[in-house]
Amino acid sequence: MATCSSDQSVKVWDKSENGDWHCTASWKTHSGSVWRVTWAHPEFGQVLASCSFDRTAAVWEEIVGESNDKLRGQSHWVKRTTLVDSRTSVTDVKFAPKHMGLMLATCSADGVVRIYEAPDVMNLSQWSLQHEISCKLSCSCISWNPSSSRAHSPMIAVGSDDNSPNILAKVQIYEYNENTRKYAKAEALMTVTDPVHDIAFAPNLGRSFHILAVATKDVRIFTLKPLRKELTSSGGLTKFEIHIVAQFDNHNSQVWRVSWNITGTVLASSGDDGCVRLWKANYMDNWKCTGILKGNGSPVNGSSQQGIFNASLGSANTSLQNSLNGSSASRKQS
Amino acid sequence: MDENLLATAATNGVVVTWNLGKPSRNKQDQLFTEHKRTVNKVCFHPTEVYMLLSGSQDGYMKCFDLRKKDSVSTFSGQSESVRDVQFSIRDYFTFAATFENGNVQLWDIRRPDRYERMFTAHNGPVFCCDWHPEDRGWLATGGRDKMVKVWDMNTTRAKEIYCVQTIASVARVKWRPECKHHIATCSMMVDHNIYVWDVRRPFIPSAMFEEHKDVTTGIVWRHLHDPYFLLSGSKDSTLYQHIFKDASQPIDRANPEGLCYSLYGDLAFAAKESLISSDSNRKPYIGDRRHPIFFKRKLDPTEQFEYISSSSALSVFETDVESGSMDWFVHTAKQYALAGRPLAELCDHNAKVAKGLDRNQVAQTWTMLRIIYSSLGTVSSTNLNHSMGKGSTALPLMNSFNLKDIPAGLGSESRLDRSKGESRTENILMDSSSTLINNEDNEETEGSDVPADYLLGDVEADEDDLYMMDHENPHAEEQEYSLPQEAFPLRHEIVDNPSALDHLQDKADSPHVSGNEAETVSLTPVESFSLISISHSLYENRLPSDFFNPIVRDTLLFYAEQGDVQTAVSVLIVLGERIRKEIDEQTQEHWYTSYIDLLQRFQLWNISNEVIKLSTCRAINCLNQASTTLHVNCSNCKRPMSNRGWICDRCRQCASMCAVCHHVVKGLFVWCQGCSHGGHLQHIMKWLETSSHCPAGCGHLCEYT
Repeated sequence: MATCSSDQSVKVWDKSENGDWHCTASWKTHSGSVWRVTWAHPEFGQVLASCSFDRTAAVWEEIVGESNDKLRGQSHWVKRTTLVDSRTSVTDVKFAPKHMGLMLATCSADGVVRIYEAPDVMNLSQWSLQHEISCKLSCSCISWNPSSSRAHSPMIAVGSDDNSPNILAKVQIYEYNENTRKYAKAEALMTVTDPVHDIAFAPNLGRSFHILAVATKDVRIFTLKPLRKELTSSGGLTKFEIHIVAQFDNHNSQVWRVSWNITGTVLASSGDDGCVRLWKANYMDNWKCTGILKGNGSPVNGSSQQGIFNASLGSANTSLQNSLNGSSASRKQS
Repeated sequence: MDENLLATAATNGVVVTWNLGKPSRNKQDQLFTEHKRTVNKVCFHPTEVYMLLSGSQDGYMKCFDLRKKDSVSTFSGQSESVRDVQFSIRDYFTFAATFENGNVQLWDIRRPDRYERMFTAHNGPVFCCDWHPEDRGWLATGGRDKMVKVWDMNTTRAKEIYCVQTIASVARVKWRPECKHHIATCSMMVDHNIYVWDVRRPFIPSAMFEEHKDVTTGIVWRHLHDPYFLLSGSKDSTLYQHIFKDASQPIDRANPEGLCYSLYGDLAFAAKESLISSDSNRKPYIGDRRHPIFFKRKLDPTEQFEYISSSSALSVFETDVESGSMDWFVHTAKQYALAGRPLAELCDHNAKVAKGLDRNQVAQTWTMLRIIYSSLGTVSSTNLNHSMGKGSTALPLMNSFNLKDIPAGLGSESRLDRSKGESRTENILMDSSSTLINNEDNEETEGSDVPADYLLGDVEADEDDLYMMDHENPHAEEQEYSLPQEAFPLRHEIVDNPSALDHLQDKADSPHVSGNEAETVSLTPVESFSLISISHSLYENRLPSDFFNPIVRDTLLFYAEQGDVQTAVSVLIVLGERIRKEIDEQTQEHWYTSYIDLLQRFQLWNISNEVIKLSTCRAINCLNQASTTLHVNCSNCKRPMSNRGWICDRCRQCASMCAVCHHVVKGLFVWCQGCSHGGHLQHIMKWLETSSHCPAGCGHLCEYT
């Protein structure tokens, strides 16, 4: 597990055989608060990307085997590249799904989404800027569509935390067009007009449609069904039939993060109420709360008892001094 | 103080003072040309109007009395260029000077021969410094190392008390009036913004002004006692007056939480401590297993600032073994049989696997498939009972059977444990045989699986009812609904669909109907199983199994849409040709890639490889043929082997002989890198349990790990 903090550092935690978590690396990554950290697919090695208030994003790789005795047990992370194209704070960084190769997307507070590619997966220090998409709104979060189907062209969803009182859609979806070789706006979720703090496509796993979770002032779940290609103008962008399948304001406050489980069947959301709530659909596609977890491990009274989780297991308090975010990402099994 | 007096420093080393009150056009007052190189800074004494200090690139500082023609005294830093000079606000005679080598010197204005004290403040040039307006001991410095440091000068050694890391080299620092801990900074390169920091929160600026389009060259607070107005000049040829309430606050954009699901369903949640421990009774939930707590909280006891006390805590929630975790996926993947046996056995085996993991819907699907696509003759009826027990529970006459069957059918310990935990359902279980169904059905609703209804017909008419019951009193009635649906719509469809029958008769002649399928007539109905008797009646109509293909296809699609790509792919592989034509290639490929990716994420390499091998999509099949080359050298003569056979071309010996059994090894071959002897994996492992020497007798101490 990797965590990042506003204290400008990133920590990597490893789970030992007996289930304890150990911090195996902690290092200063940026000269500003680190907003997000994310793992690349393990096929590319142990690779992390981080993004920061200092207007850069960085790619890190773990070096194994060259440790001397002093640093035994501490893994060694080296910076492979710094992506300096942004003129403002880089608010999110995400690796593209594996089948697209080694690509990553960043978005920044001035509303630009940048897509980089490492043409040689063995050389993580070379990244070329492939696309620059201007979203016109300050971006806060980004998510790749994970579908590996050839029927689905590469797609990214961008959320904006712009809080000016306009009625622009705060979630925009960009799709890659094979003909123009550019990303173009395919859809905008017009119903989302409040600042969006997180956005996540569910793992696709063979579905013909896409599920998108949005963290705004409430939790929302959208499905995007691609309409058949024949119906759309040939070669143009895919049209989608968009449905909002769930909308929950149970957090009663700003929702900050949403995260899907590996099969895309359970959504976890966290909000300013200090709780994690779990959402699951029954087979009729009706989404319901299946559990509430409190950050301090105490059970929540009145929570539904079909909860998936044993209330809590321990809290590992990191010394994120003055930190305001601890974005975490799971280390995938390699 | 003289409002009209202005001093300027120039790159040619000239210090000029101007009197703006002069009536003539030429406002120039005094001109000092004592410095040899660029003068970086001039500074008036805070109380003495005529006292002016300058610091220059030539390494000298000079003090001028504006009433005299020349400098009063010269201070030599004995080092590199002077970047900044500042009179102390409280100490009449003291000033600070900063240098390009990273040092800061304190001087007494009366003693030009030697500095009072010196310390190294930064790594690289110190571009600026500022005395705190209220606290006489505090000096802030900013340098090219992107840091702002606050020093306590009261002690004998200057002590660093705060350090703020900015994102670019610091060109100017200015304490904010009336706010003890606030300081404004601007940069000389890259970054055009002005930040106001609270030095106690060194990572996120508390305010930010973003107006300038080019480098900000100077900042100053408009009035000594007004903290709300800031003036700034820039290379973009603008001068801004910033009002504080216009400032953007980066803290608003900073998320206070992190949340992420792990592969196995564990959930990590990090948040501000203040947020999650608001009710301060951090009692552990009874019965939970706690992780060791690494607790290194750093909180400043003097904090009043609302954002500051924000260390954060990270908790990892582990999933309940039974429901949330992904163990079922791994077990299913490992235990499923996908090929190598007759279809009926595969289906039965997989049904049993699914059943064992409490996935009744999937189990039932497998059983259905078996019934649809293969003969029942080979299967013992008890086995059938077992897997079909569920589907029939609602039949009143089966109650007695259920009572017997449940201990066997639900035999797995975990399941029994759970039903004990749910005392309510247990009571019901004891209550009467008629409500026994409740418990059974409870199991069904807990999995995310599809009710079997989907398999056999449309459920639309009763969707709402189904859902409502799921919500409230989940079980009692649902069975009543689902069972009739199992039974009737299907029959209905068959009877009312003459065109389908015609179609079937056409097909009856086609070679596709294998003997296996023809035999299905021999299905022996097990007493009082509604489902099977349906099947039976169907087969009496001699329906070829093709008839069900659309339904099976829909089932697979349904599983895939539900996120259970495992079932879809497994069925696809097991049924093979029978169903493949029904589903378009692209969808199949999508399923395969999704499932393979998932398997690999769980490190199930063998299974993913098996799936790749068994898949019929060309795009998938070639996955494990890419870039895998094995070079083998002969173990005798060390020459590369040709890829023709097992005999080395040169020494005419078999190269890969097992050192234990002296047969050629085909398949897994393990060998010692030291002596190049080896053999069958099993043989070598067995050998080395008892001996540490090489089985070939070469005397090498082999280590197979």
